[in-house]
Amino acid sequence: VTEVEVKAAYLVNFPRFVEWPEQPARGDTLAICILGKDPFGPALEEALAGQAAGRIRMKARRIARVEQVQECDVLFVGAPADSLWERVKDGARQAGVLTVSDWPGFVLRGGMVEFVLEARRVRFAVNLGAAEESGLRLSSELLKLAVTVRPGG
Amino acid sequence: MSRDQQAESWAVKVAMKDPPQIPGRVQGKRRRFRVAWGMCWVLVWAMAGAAGYGEGAADGLRGLSLEELGKIEVTATNRVPLRLARTPAAVYVITKDDIRRSGATSLPEALRLAPGVHVAQLDAIKRSIGIRGFGSRLSRGVLVVIDGRNVYSPLFAGVFWEMQDTLIEDIERIEVIRGPGATIWGPNAVNGVINVITKKARETKGDLVSTGWGNVQRFLHVRHGGSKGERLHYRVYGKTFGRGPEYHRNGADFDKWVMGQGGFRVDWELKNSDTVTIQGDLYGGTMGESLSVSRAVGVRPVVVNQDSRIAGGNLLARWRHTLRDGSELQVQTYYDRTSREAANFTEHRDTVDFDVMMRKSAAQRHEIVYGAGVRVSAGHIPVVLPTLRFSPAHRNDQLYSMLLQDEIRLFGETKGMYLTLGTKLVRTDFAPFGAQPTVRLLYTTGRHSWWTSVTRALRTPSDVERSFESTGFVAANPPVVSRLLPNREFGSEKLVGYEAGFRHTAGRNFTLDVAMFQNRYDDLLSVEPGTPYTEQTPEARRTVIPYSVGNGLYGFTRGLEVIPDWKPAANWRLTGNYSYLSMRLDRQAWSRDTTTMASTAGSSPRHMWSMHSAIDLPGRLEFSQSYRHVAGLPRFGVPGYHTADARFTWRCCAGMEFSVAGRNLLQPAHPEFGGNPEGLVEVRRRIYGSITWRR
Repeated sequence: VTEVEVKAAYLVNFPRFVEWPEQPARGDTLAICILGKDPFGPALEEALAGQAAGRIRMKARRIARVEQVQECDVLFVGAPADSLWERVKDGARQAGVLTVSDWPGFVLRGGMVEFVLEARRVRFAVNLGAAEESGLRLSSELLKLAVTVRPGG
Repeated sequence: MSRDQQAESWAVKVAMKDPPQIPGRVQGKRRRFRVAWGMCWVLVWAMAGAAGYGEGAADGLRGLSLEELGKIEVTATNRVPLRLARTPAAVYVITKDDIRRSGATSLPEALRLAPGVHVAQLDAIKRSIGIRGFGSRLSRGVLVVIDGRNVYSPLFAGVFWEMQDTLIEDIERIEVIRGPGATIWGPNAVNGVINVITKKARETKGDLVSTGWGNVQRFLHVRHGGSKGERLHYRVYGKTFGRGPEYHRNGADFDKWVMGQGGFRVDWELKNSDTVTIQGDLYGGTMGESLSVSRAVGVRPVVVNQDSRIAGGNLLARWRHTLRDGSELQVQTYYDRTSREAANFTEHRDTVDFDVMMRKSAAQRHEIVYGAGVRVSAGHIPVVLPTLRFSPAHRNDQLYSMLLQDEIRLFGETKGMYLTLGTKLVRTDFAPFGAQPTVRLLYTTGRHSWWTSVTRALRTPSDVERSFESTGFVAANPPVVSRLLPNREFGSEKLVGYEAGFRHTAGRNFTLDVAMFQNRYDDLLSVEPGTPYTEQTPEARRTVIPYSVGNGLYGFTRGLEVIPDWKPAANWRLTGNYSYLSMRLDRQAWSRDTTTMASTAGSSPRHMWSMHSAIDLPGRLEFSQSYRHVAGLPRFGVPGYHTADARFTWRCCAGMEFSVAGRNLLQPAHPEFGGNPEGLVEVRRRIYGSITWRR
């Protein structure tokens, strides 16, 4: 199993543990967007295909412009994450998007979920404050599994 | 250079008189080893089968909970292949995982993993590393960069491999570009580029101690990494090793090598948009050399086995700044000092380099890189022997370079077409501004990509061609000497390279990378005989047969590299590669060179192939093995060889890791390259155990 396969699996699993402020308004298909370099390749589509029917419907989108973040529910920030994040940060916060990246230090810079590699296992860190600011509610189950949780405020 | 040539022609003579023979007893041993090796492979197949052959990796992830996902151990960090899929060049990346599993303890050993790269040992210390031909002790025409520091020597347009080292555990990856990567990388990147990238300080927190002991080498590596706050990360390391000797038929055993090296790296994230990196190394040691030395002009040379001293250090600072629009600015400067004292040659060199590079996205479609750099290298090469001299003994070499590259997205994105246009302009003291343009086209569907390119590259003249004079002994009575004279007219060697390749991804578990090339070389170095004359000195009157370097050769190289990579099971990876090379060199009608064509073409193998298997076994065990073949080198009378490596690792507990590794297992010793004045030195079978502790 490669790192990206596990990350892709996480990415399609996260929405079950997140409550968006205006979930119904967007219809019933969640958009998982990737900004910047796409590390997943076919792994994300395969993870989506592996989702059992009857759960939340999701689709993957690769976006090129930061304005497109309005159309996303989950945003994965790929490389060069440092510069992209600076540009997309405010828009993502206003749009109430779950932001995810594997850029080290992402949660320290206002990102919500950061993948970290620990002893060859993919885990994640959470910035609860950033999620609350965007009006997202993360379930306690998600927080329990995070390696670190930065509190709100 | 002529020193090398003398030494190497000697080696050829010796080799022809005494063709390599292996006594019957050893041959029997070799057969037993082969049988054992075959059984190893069978065993691996069986184990892999037991461990779940064919079980689709990600299928197993379906329906797993978050908690379960967090417990899955992942294999190699596989960012690389996706980035590769978009590169319109023959790039191969050796990852830290590949290096660890191979058991390599030095840069050249790690480079054996790359296709199209011929790594050969002259003895325990010296290496020849050639990419797509042109293998030589000095790796001419190959640009080597370590963490942004160019380790190319302007003295002879090559690299002293024995002076290039870093902590092997700190290496993040090694990118090997086969073919002219001239645009981005600059001068001397004619046949290829080797780019060594170490981990960020953030990724090497904690302590590491690694020590190994074996029949040919022992080493101790120590590293400590830490951080101050969330933005400042650092590491320091120290290492020492002893190596050699390899197998010498005459028992000379001169190649004993002891080195020590230490260094540090600091990464400081000033703001979100600025990162400063400062790093440096210091090293020193002694290496045993066997050299053919003439104490005076006209005196028969003797072979001297003596320790040479090497030492050096470097300090580099890099600032990376991200602008508001996402553009990236990088400013880098470094200072590098090397010094080398041998029985026939001494060099002290100080290099200062300053480089600015900017990366910018424009109008949605363009990814533009431009930059400029200047390098000043001051060399001091005092005369040690009257027969070998650089004149002047002090000199400053300056190099100015500029680069401009635009990657244009013609259409599509993940599925699309990209055109790359670029050029590098290089000026040195020996060559006016020369353009090195490249055109590259790539079409990708995400899973498959096709690319093609045309590139022009230059190898600018070095001090050896322009200011080196050596006198060789021919006969004592009547006194005759040969003399290699510098040629101040010697110009750049030129290459126009045509390349094409494709990369296919079939499912999750198989990729195939194929690259083909044809290179046209012009104005390659030749050695031109002149008209003999008589020289009268206070001591003697003698006949001199003069030679000088010229640009008299041209030719073609053609070749192919095929690189399959297959994961038959989630815990098993099989990679292979095959490289074919054909070199045809010819001389201009005016050239009277008689030796260089054959010696250049005869120093690179026509075929090379290898297979590597890496398997994770239950109980935190890892087993890796490889098998490789390198065809013979006619120039040195080196026969082709087959050999194998294996490594067994147990990640025990509390950060402890134990491993046993064997290299060159299939024969007690085999020669790989010539260059020693008293015949071929053979590379021994090598077994070593190591213990690594991490905290």
